[in-house]
Amino acid sequence: MDFKEIAQMARDEAKRYGVQFMDIRIREGDWSSISLQDGKADKIGTGKGVGMGIRVLLNGVWGFASSDEVTRERAMDCLKAAVEMAKASLSRVRERIEIAEAEPIEDIYESHYEIDPRSIPLERKKEILSSFEKAALAKMGDKAANTMLWYSDSVTREIVCNTFGTLTDSKYVRVRIGARMTAKEGDIRRSGYEGVGRISGFEVIEGLSAEELSVAAAETALNLLSAKRPPAGKFPVIFHPDISGIFIHEALGHNAEADLVLKGESILEGKLGTKIASDLVTVIDDATMEGEWGFYKYDSEGVPGQRRTIIDKGVLVGFMHSLETAAKFGVKPNGSARAQDHGSRPIVRMSNTFVAPGSSKFEDMVKDIDLGILLRKGQWGYVMCEKGQYTCHAGEAFLIKDGEIRDRLCDVSISGMILETLENVDAISEEFMMEKGGGTCGKDGQGMAVSGGGPYIRVKEVVVGGQELIGGERR
Amino acid sequence: MRDLLSIAHMACEVAKGEGAEFVDVVASIWKDVSVELDKGAIKSSDVRWGSYVSVRAFIKGGMGASSISGSFEDDDVVLCARRAVEMARIAQPDPDFVSLPEPLPYKEVEGLYDPRIEAMEVSQLIDFLGMNVDEAISVCPEVVVNGGSSASFGESALVNSLGVEVRNKWTSIGLSISSVVKKGEDVGSYYEFDSARVLSDFVPQGIGRKATEGALSFLGARKVETKPMAVILGPLATHDLFSSICSCASAEEIQRNRSFLIGKRGEVIASELITVVDDGTYPRGIFSSPCDGEGFPRRPLTVIENGVLKSWLHNSYTANKAKEENTGHSTRGGISPTNVRILPGKVPSEEIIGSTDEGIYILSGSVSPNPITGEISATIDFGFKVERGRIAYPVKNAMIGINAIELMKKIDAVSSDYREEPGLIMPTIRAQNVLVAGGV
Repeated sequence: MDFKEIAQMARDEAKRYGVQFMDIRIREGDWSSISLQDGKADKIGTGKGVGMGIRVLLNGVWGFASSDEVTRERAMDCLKAAVEMAKASLSRVRERIEIAEAEPIEDIYESHYEIDPRSIPLERKKEILSSFEKAALAKMGDKAANTMLWYSDSVTREIVCNTFGTLTDSKYVRVRIGARMTAKEGDIRRSGYEGVGRISGFEVIEGLSAEELSVAAAETALNLLSAKRPPAGKFPVIFHPDISGIFIHEALGHNAEADLVLKGESILEGKLGTKIASDLVTVIDDATMEGEWGFYKYDSEGVPGQRRTIIDKGVLVGFMHSLETAAKFGVKPNGSARAQDHGSRPIVRMSNTFVAPGSSKFEDMVKDIDLGILLRKGQWGYVMCEKGQYTCHAGEAFLIKDGEIRDRLCDVSISGMILETLENVDAISEEFMMEKGGGTCGKDGQGMAVSGGGPYIRVKEVVVGGQELIGGERR
Repeated sequence: MRDLLSIAHMACEVAKGEGAEFVDVVASIWKDVSVELDKGAIKSSDVRWGSYVSVRAFIKGGMGASSISGSFEDDDVVLCARRAVEMARIAQPDPDFVSLPEPLPYKEVEGLYDPRIEAMEVSQLIDFLGMNVDEAISVCPEVVVNGGSSASFGESALVNSLGVEVRNKWTSIGLSISSVVKKGEDVGSYYEFDSARVLSDFVPQGIGRKATEGALSFLGARKVETKPMAVILGPLATHDLFSSICSCASAEEIQRNRSFLIGKRGEVIASELITVVDDGTYPRGIFSSPCDGEGFPRRPLTVIENGVLKSWLHNSYTANKAKEENTGHSTRGGISPTNVRILPGKVPSEEIIGSTDEGIYILSGSVSPNPITGEISATIDFGFKVERGRIAYPVKNAMIGINAIELMKKIDAVSSDYREEPGLIMPTIRAQNVLVAGGV
C-alpha cells in the first residue's frame, strides 16, 4: 500500500470515530552531508527516515500520535491513540477549539531544480569543499587557525491528507553549504562565517565561487583581528541588509504569529489595525518566494503558502495563521502552519520575512549620525514576546562617527523594546537584499527553515551590549 | 520487537565484513507522552513512538555514518551498515584517529530508569498541570498560564567492533509553566520548571505558584543607566555561564584551535572561589549515564579547581590524538559536558545581595561567551536592580558586556545555598565592576 493510500484510508477511518477534524501527515526524506576540517573531509554521513503524525480534533481538544513506522496497521494504531489522547484531555478543556474551513486541494508539487544533488558523486562534492578551503587558506596565510566547511543536501516529501478532502503531496530538494574560518594573531582569534542555502538543485553549488563563500569568511575573520571592543549604551544603529532579516524576525515576526497572540504572549494582542511603527515600516512574510530557504508551496495543514503583509506603512494589518487561529480571529487561513517533522504538530511559523525597501540612500543614512553603530552579518537572535524585548547578535559591526564609517567592532549584541524600536525607525534604504544563507528558527522545540532580508534600516536608539564606556575612563 | 543488542551486533558484523576497520552501532527505541497547556486549558495531548539504527564506520580514520529510522528489518539494517562503509571509503583518511574505545568495566548509575514513568498515563500529566494552573490562579486570578509536561522512556544498545557492549534504559519527566501578568501596558512574566529521571525526584507542586510570583515581581520594569556595577548571577544564570565554559573546554575545540581557553590549562581563569566538577555518574542525574556516547565509562571530572582550569573534556578521538586519558564526554559525534556542579561557597545568597551597594541581580538568562573569542555581549532577560543591599526594581532593556575570563576573575562571592536539580548544583555568584549597558 503506498503512502497516499494509507493516508486516505486513515482519514476515512477517522470519520467513524466522530471527529470534528483529522489530518495525517506522512514525511519521508533522505539526506547526505560532508564536513571538512583542517584539510580533511573525514566525516561523511547519510540517512533516511519516514514517519507519520495523526492529529484529531475531538470535542474541542486535540489528540496527536506519531510513529516512524508507516504501515496500514500502524496508522490504525496511531489514529486510535490520537483519539484516546483527545478523550483524556476533556477534563481540562475550558473552551472548545474550532478550526477554519479550508478549500480542499488535491495536488502534487515538486520544487524546481536543474541538477538532482543525489546524482552528483560525493567525490565531486568533496572536491568543491577542498577547493574552497584551499582558497581560504591562501587568503589567511600564516594567520589561519582553523577551517570548517560543510555541505548537505536533502530531499523531503510531505503528504498532507485531511477530512476537508485535501490531499497534497509536496517534494522539496534543498542544498546548503557553509564555511567558518578562524584566524589568529597572537592570542587573538576571530572567526568569519558565510553560508548559502536554497531550495534548489546542485546548480547552486556549481555556480558558487570560493570568493563568495570561504574567502569571504576568511576576509571577515582577518578583518576582525584588528577589531575593537564595542561601546556600551544607547546609540543610533543601522542594520545592514544581511542582518535586517534576523532583526525583523525577532523584533516583529514572532509577535505576529497568531498562536502566540491567542496565548496572551504577544505584545501585539489587541493592536490589529493600530499604528505600531513608523510610517516608513512595511513588513512582509512571503512563503511564495521560490528557491528561498523559507519557501513552501503548501503548509503542513495543506493550505497554500502565501504572501502576508504584517505591517503596512506602520499599521499592523495582519497575523500569520493556522486553521485554528484563523477560526478564532474569523479570518481565512493564510498557510502559516508548519511542522518540523512527522512527530511534531503544525504550529504557526514565519517563512521569508523582510522589511520592504524605502527611499533613502545608505550613504545619506550614515551621514546624519554623529556617533552610532552599523551592524552586519546577523548570527542569531531571540525575543521575549510577552515583554516585547528582543536581542540580535552581529558577526561584525562598525563604529559610525561624524557621519563616517570608522573602526571595525566585534562581538556586538543589541537589545531593544519592540514597540519603541519600530516607532524609532527613521530611515529605510532603497537598497534591498535577501540573505543567502537561510536559517533555522526555533519555537516550542521545533526547528524550521526560514529566511529573511531587507534594506538598510536606521533606528534612532538601541542598547548596545558593549565593553567601552563612552565619555568615561577606558576599563 | 527484536532485541536491540542483536540488531546492533548484526549491523556491526555487516560493516566489518564490508571492510570497516572500526565500527560502532546504536539501536534505539523511544516513546514520549506529552501535554500542552494553553491559557490554563489543555490544548493537546500527544504520544510519539520512534526508533533508529545509527552506524559509524572508520577506514584509515575517515568516518562514514549512516542512519535509518522506523525500521529494524534486516534488509534495511544491512543497507544502512553497507552505506556507512561506502561513505567511510570516500571520506579522507585521518591519521589522528587511533581507535574507538576498548571495552572497560563500568558501573551502573542508580536511578536513571523508573518503570512508573515508562507507564505514565497522559491523565497523570494533565493532573500535574491542572494542579499548577490552580496554584497560579490562586496567586493572581488574572494570570495567563501556558506550559506543558512530558514523560519519556527509551532503550538503546551500543556495540563496537572492539567488543564494547552497553545497554541503556532511561526515563525522564518534566513540567514547565510560563506565567504572564498584565496590568494595562505593563507586563511581567516568568517561568519555572522541574525535571527528573525518577518519579521520587519529581516535584510537580509549586511550579505554577513560583512562576506567577516571579511574573508579578517583574511588573514595573525600568531602564537603567550605563555604568559599571556588581553583577549577581542567580542559580540558573550561574549554571548557564559555567556550562558554556565547560563546553569551551572541549578538547575538540582546543585541538581545532578555536577556543578562547587555548593555552589556559593550568592557569587561573577564575576567582579562587570557583570550583566546577562535571559528573556524568551522579545518581539520578539529569545528564547521567554509565558510559558516554561511544561506550566509554563516565567519571567525575574537575574542570576548574579554585579558579585554575584543570582539564579538557575528551572523547576517544581527542584523547588518543593528545595522548591523554579519555574523560568519557563523547556524544558520538562531538563532546559535551554532563551534570555541571559548581561547588557552593560560604556566604548565604541573601548576604551577597545584602552587601551589594549597587548592582544587577540576574535571576535567569543566558550569559554565555562567544566560544572563540570569550567575549560576552548579553541581554539581561530576567534581572533586578540592586540598591543599598536590597532588590530595588525589575529592569528591562539592559545588557552586560565583558570578557568571560575577566568576569570569572571578578567573582568575589559564591553562595552557600544553591538550587539543585538532579545532578546539578547551582549557587548564586557575584562579580564586581561589570559594565552594564542600559537604555536610560
